[in-house]
Amino acid sequence: MITVTIDGKKPPITYPKIKTVLQLLNNLHLRVNDALIIRDGELLTPDRHLWPGDQVTVRMVVSRG
Amino acid sequence: MKCKRCGELAAVKLPSHHAGFCPTCFEGFFKKQVETAVRRHGMIGRDEKVLVAVSGGKDSLALMRVLTDLGHVVEGLHVHLGIPDSSDPVAERTRAFCAANGLTLHVLHTAEHGLAVPDVKDAVRRPVCAVCGKIKRHYFNRFAYENGFAALATGHNLDDETARLFANVLRWDPAYLGTQGPTLPGEGKFVRKIKPLYRLTEFETAAYCFLKGIDHWKAACPYSGGASFTGHKKLIADLEDRSPGQKTAFYEAFLAQGRPHFAGASRGEGQDTLYACAQCGFPSSGEVCGVCRVREQVAAHKARREAV
Ligand code: SF4
Ligand SMILES: [Zn+2]
Ligand SMILES: [Zn+2]
Repeated sequence: MITVTIDGKKPPITYPKIKTVLQLLNNLHLRVNDALIIRDGELLTPDRHLWPGDQVTVRMVVSRG
Repeated sequence: MKCKRCGELAAVKLPSHHAGFCPTCFEGFFKKQVETAVRRHGMIGRDEKVLVAVSGGKDSLALMRVLTDLGHVVEGLHVHLGIPDSSDPVAERTRAFCAANGLTLHVLHTAEHGLAVPDVKDAVRRPVCAVCGKIKRHYFNRFAYENGFAALATGHNLDDETARLFANVLRWDPAYLGTQGPTLPGEGKFVRKIKPLYRLTEFETAAYCFLKGIDHWKAACPYSGGASFTGHKKLIADLEDRSPGQKTAFYEAFLAQGRPHFAGASRGEGQDTLYACAQCGFPSSGEVCGVCRVREQVAAHKARREAV
């Protein structure tokens, strides 16, 4: 199970089956450079693996005006 | 994925540059892009002082940081708009960031000049953002001019610039196309306007801020009707996704091939000659400039309200 928080929104979303950052992006309909994907204070490229128990933060990069 | 420069684990993937970078090499890449922009477009001369327009968002804070790291003499100006629950925390956060980074920040309160934005909103019929933008541009330029800055730098990035260019092209607006670009030379009481981040995308700036620990203000202004050009940005992002590099190519080719054709285009009947505003002395197409007119409207509106 992977826990994903998008722009601080609560509650976080959980994904039982996602294995890579790319799968997560696809699931959220995001392109590679639409958001920062952060785990343990580290930025992840799309090819990185995600593991059960991971807490991932998605930070959208588009400014909101 | 490995870093293109050093082979370590990459933190950032940039399809547009066919590259991935580790945090250290990404910062090098980021600085290099700014350096190139500054050099190619004559943005900052030797020993020139630069004023950065600091909104408190990620682009302006990243801009302050990177210009300073590149050895430029930079000070920031934050324009406090007097909007309840928004302006104070933004100014506070911006102040804290600058203090922690050893950067000089000036704060100008529009309320002290009779232009608190909530009052402006009540007094004018036009959308408040158009007027607010005008007020901010006026004070950024005026502050730069009156305090001996050679240039005013804003945090516009490649996404902002291509979206604006796309909008200008859709309307084939000659005056806008003739002056759009990373550097607008100074003239009279207009200081030079520069956009040192124009080669970097929103994603790259966000990644830079994250990696440098820049804690920017994320909440939108309560009066915001949403970011500008959101639809255009989406279209261009789709194009970029299908053929990486298109965004930069579109913009750079415009600068090289398109813009020269629009140089000196007229802004329209009676709009090209500038006079000194009778009240503030700054350039204006009429006798009194737009900002001074709004100030009068605000004062008149207040007087009317107090009379009833
Ligand atoms: S959203 Fe509108 S009112 Fe708010 S700061 Fe921006 S331009 Fe001014
Ligand atoms: Zn590296
Ligand atoms: Zn004036």
